[in-house]
Amino acid sequence: MAEGMFYNATNGYVEGIVRGYRSALLTGQNYGNLTQCETIDDVKLQLGPAYGDYLASLPPNPSTSTLADKTLDKLVAEFRYIQANATGSLSKFMEYLTYAYMIDNVALLITGTLHERDTKELLERCHPLGWFETMPVLCVATNIEELYNSVLIETPLAPYFKGSISHHDLDELNIEIIRNTLYKNYLEDFHRFVNEEPGIKGTPTQTVMSEVLEFEADRRSINITINSFGTELSKQDRKKLYPNFGRLHPEGTLMLSRAEDVEGVRIAVDGVHDYRTMLDQTGMGGGGLGNQSGGIGGDEGKSLEDLFYQKEMEICKLAFTYQFTHAVVYAWVKLREQEIRNITWISECIAQNQKDRVNNFISVF
Amino acid sequence: MSGKDREPVFPTRQALGIMKSKLKGAQVGHDLLKRKSEALTKRFREITKRIDDAKRKMGRVMQIAAFSLAEVTYAVGNNSIAYQITETARQAKFRVRTKQENVSGVFLPAFESFQVEGASEFGMTGLGKGGQQVQKCRETYTRAVETLVELASLQTAFVILDEVIKVVNRRVNAIEHVIIPRTENTIKYINSELDELDREEFFRLKKVKGVKEKVQAEEEAERQKKKKSSSDKENEEEAESKNVLGDEGDEDVIF
Amino acid sequence: MALDKAQYKDREFLAVIGDEDSVTGILLAGVGHVTDPPDSQKNYLVVDQKTEDSTIEGAFEAFTTERKDIAIVLINQHIADRIRTKVDGFSAAFPSVLEIPSKDHPYDPEKDSVMKRVRKLFGE
Repeated sequence: MAEGMFYNATNGYVEGIVRGYRSALLTGQNYGNLTQCETIDDVKLQLGPAYGDYLASLPPNPSTSTLADKTLDKLVAEFRYIQANATGSLSKFMEYLTYAYMIDNVALLITGTLHERDTKELLERCHPLGWFETMPVLCVATNIEELYNSVLIETPLAPYFKGSISHHDLDELNIEIIRNTLYKNYLEDFHRFVNEEPGIKGTPTQTVMSEVLEFEADRRSINITINSFGTELSKQDRKKLYPNFGRLHPEGTLMLSRAEDVEGVRIAVDGVHDYRTMLDQTGMGGGGLGNQSGGIGGDEGKSLEDLFYQKEMEICKLAFTYQFTHAVVYAWVKLREQEIRNITWISECIAQNQKDRVNNFISVF
Repeated sequence: MSGKDREPVFPTRQALGIMKSKLKGAQVGHDLLKRKSEALTKRFREITKRIDDAKRKMGRVMQIAAFSLAEVTYAVGNNSIAYQITETARQAKFRVRTKQENVSGVFLPAFESFQVEGASEFGMTGLGKGGQQVQKCRETYTRAVETLVELASLQTAFVILDEVIKVVNRRVNAIEHVIIPRTENTIKYINSELDELDREEFFRLKKVKGVKEKVQAEEEAERQKKKKSSSDKENEEEAESKNVLGDEGDEDVIF
Repeated sequence: MALDKAQYKDREFLAVIGDEDSVTGILLAGVGHVTDPPDSQKNYLVVDQKTEDSTIEGAFEAFTTERKDIAIVLINQHIADRIRTKVDGFSAAFPSVLEIPSKDHPYDPEKDSVMKRVRKLFGE
């Protein structure tokens, strides 16, 4: 446990802060109070202790999206603070965290550029965590080739573009394929990073993050497979989008790539107990996609996405049981994101008067 | 309606015949149009009621749809998806065609939605995350928009019927309050004129008769006169003879 | 009274004027259409607080009078309120203008221009 000796010297402060942030996350009781609210103003009031100043500038009865924006602002501010204090491998680690958001932003910008939108408006819509210095430059590009040759190359995402996407693809491929290709490359790179970076290799970070990333990779593979049924995405193209690691890799992903229906997915994930139980829980096997939750009338069982989120949250919660690891930062960000989603969900339910579904959020603590 | 209002016709028997058939036509037309208007109004009321219901239903349907979008936001985790959708729209897959329905001679358009063949543009939206919710939301919204299309049909029918009923009612009223009274007036006028003519004729005839009688009388008088003068002579003769025969002409002798 | 067929035979699209969520949802159903370049006319308009009333009016005008391929115009009620005089002033049968509720603004039949006519007719 040599890492324990020196971890605190460099990263102790940050870890302490993050653990502090973690205790500030909303608990089951807080959520209980939130679900009892009658108006968005009540929700605002209930969030007061946790979010304080961030909500102060909201007008009375704000829309759910502005409320969500404000809660996100807090996450961003805290993230920036930690990032500013991070050094060495942690700093790099946190950069990796932001790449995921950058991919979304880049996808957004590409869509915008393709359709010649007002780029200032585009920048406002970008996820603040995925902000990178050269991003405003992206907007200078007026056509795809220019975007690719002069701008994308400069971004931290350039390696993910290289080799898998040419500038012709930007024009022709569906933006979702580009996004998922980038994401796949990113996950693989991140995975490589946590396993090979000298500062991380052999530490609990490697253990926890490998688990997290493998889960993420599997989740994407399964989701892509299920979501691609009925679309024009061919099996070969689909296979290219699966990350090359994870608990399903390689046999599972191979079988996934051949799957033609949900039953095929089920067989493919049969080897991994967690995923198999998830698929069983959703009741997806025979009935197909039709009987998932969220329908207008019947709400039986949770959707696969919900279960994935739940699993992710469990992993993140467990990450806090480790000490001397960067993974807590990752876990904290994910937990906070889930919290923001929960708040959005609850306020959405309240705003739209759908109180019977209000308990469909994931409370972690 | 002022009694003076009438058609510019010559008060002849022929015109009277025309007017009478016109009045009859107007009355038949009035009845028919009135019936049409009633049928349309009935339909109109039905539609209005259905619009009322449909609008309320729409409120609910749209609420459910909006909520399914909230689910998407929840599953995807951010709202950049909205932007992506508004930006990737290219070709409408959901379109409407219009067909006609005949209600008492009025063609009411009805919209009918149909899906253009081909894969959806949003089939791959949320491929890595939230795709199932996106597809579900798509279905919910498709149903919602179908409801909206139905409602739009009703509403168009409403607008058109409203217009048509107004026109028909205007015609009914025009016939009832203008054409029929006017024709009746004309007929009355023609009748009165004809009566007048009759009377005039009668009077004329009377006059003619009077003149004739006068002339006759004069002639008679003349004749009488002539007759008289000739008869005077005769009378004289008669008198003479009378005198001969009797003494009527003689004054009574007073003794 | 037969309608002029040319009035509606080319009308096969729907148009939307609404807040981001409403437009997103309706486009998700496959309503969105952008005409071929160079003019690339969209059949939808996303309205937020920053959108000027004149922009909305322009889009409404374009969808209702200029374009002949739109059968139904969907407009969020709270946006229709912003250009109420224009919406109330529109009485043609084609395209059909439909006021729809939005997420944050539940439907209010009192404001609907068609419902107003309905009520007026029944003397309520």
